[in-house]
Amino acid sequence: MLRLFKSKLFILVLTTLVILIVMGVSTNQNSSVNQFGNVLSVILSPGQKFLSYCGQKMEGSFTFFNDIKAVKKENEELKARLDQLEKERIELEDYKVKNKELREALNLKDQFGDYVFLGANIIAKDPGNWFDVFNIDRGSKDGISSDYPVITSKGLVGKVTTPGLLSSKVIAIIDSDSTVSARISKTRDLVLVRGDLSLKDQGLCRMDYIPPDADIAVGDTIETSGVGGIFPKGIVIGKVKKVLQDNSVMTRYAVIEPAVDFKRLEEVLVLKEKVENKSSETGNVK
Amino acid sequence: MKAKIIILGLCIFFIAMLQSTVLDYARVYNVKPNLLLIFIVSIALLKGNVEGAIVGFFCGLTQDMIAGKVIGFYALLGLYLGLIVGSVNKRLYRENVLVITFFTFVSTVIYEFCVYFFGTVFRNPVDFISPFKNVIIPEAIYNSVISVFIYIFAIKIYDKLSEMDRLPRKY
Repeated sequence: MLRLFKSKLFILVLTTLVILIVMGVSTNQNSSVNQFGNVLSVILSPGQKFLSYCGQKMEGSFTFFNDIKAVKKENEELKARLDQLEKERIELEDYKVKNKELREALNLKDQFGDYVFLGANIIAKDPGNWFDVFNIDRGSKDGISSDYPVITSKGLVGKVTTPGLLSSKVIAIIDSDSTVSARISKTRDLVLVRGDLSLKDQGLCRMDYIPPDADIAVGDTIETSGVGGIFPKGIVIGKVKKVLQDNSVMTRYAVIEPAVDFKRLEEVLVLKEKVENKSSETGNVK
Repeated sequence: MKAKIIILGLCIFFIAMLQSTVLDYARVYNVKPNLLLIFIVSIALLKGNVEGAIVGFFCGLTQDMIAGKVIGFYALLGLYLGLIVGSVNKRLYRENVLVITFFTFVSTVIYEFCVYFFGTVFRNPVDFISPFKNVIIPEAIYNSVISVFIYIFAIKIYDKLSEMDRLPRKY
């Protein structure tokens, strides 16, 4: 009996130690232990894909009948708006051509020129209530690797942390582990946008290290700065919602409302670096 | 034994899948229940510390693989949760629903506080009021309500399993 107890305790201590070591090793993103997580994600991801698809469809069908009236009204408004936009589009087309010519003349590098957009669906979200990590249905099979930026047409979502074979983990900018180097669009001041646990529930994040002399007001747009090398320059993050003062220290911080609505996020775009085209591009330059 | 492993494995698999996808639509007061935690507590109460620890470990590992930042964090928490809850089961009348409700409430508070604590302590100052008010207490209440159903479900599974075991041989 004593021996049994002893061996049980021994097993417990051994398992604890092994888990602690694995935890330590897996904090390094490139370690092969993380590949171990792949095994399950490969099995889980088709099921998750199916279930989240069903969930979205169900939500859609519940609101279907209520929506018809609203949709009719919206349709008329949209038609009017479409006419207006069509006019603007022609103008913009003209500007686009001019812009391109001028850019070429100045030899500026295109902001997203080095990237390929890869569409992805969100198939699973964090099981807990604390963090904001989600899974997308693209993995290393599609050429995704860690630190690839994830965006939507509206703005920045986050970055890939652990790519699996068929799915990858993405960490959102509102997660408390995420920090993004950012810039106030108006004044070009460098700031830091971080996730915050208490703001996360409302889908907001906070902005730190605001220079004391920076002129910042509610409604200012915040964009990525390109410093740090993960996110390309100039992706919209969000707008300033509130500017606050820390009581203890004489610094300011601000609450940011991200351009992306994290509660209703279904599809995202992954920015994948162009690798094979690079050589041909440089060839063209020569 | 084999049947038990397969069935428990399937349970963990499906609960994890539900937890990470459809449960997002069942948010109340901005929290969703943690079905895996309830499952660990149920099994631990029913079957004692060894089985509780093993189930806890695998539930945690699944959660790690879905959305953990380091592999092993939830596994370790789950292991100790199952172990501790399973160790106190002998003197209680297990079939009482209040027991599982109470245990789920207490476990959720401790478990979620650990997750919060280890998630923030190295980065930000630890705050006690807002996490309890916004996440831990609402989730604990929500979990306690759901726990009744999962507990009944777990009892049913074990009834079926013992029936299957009794037929071929006793061990």
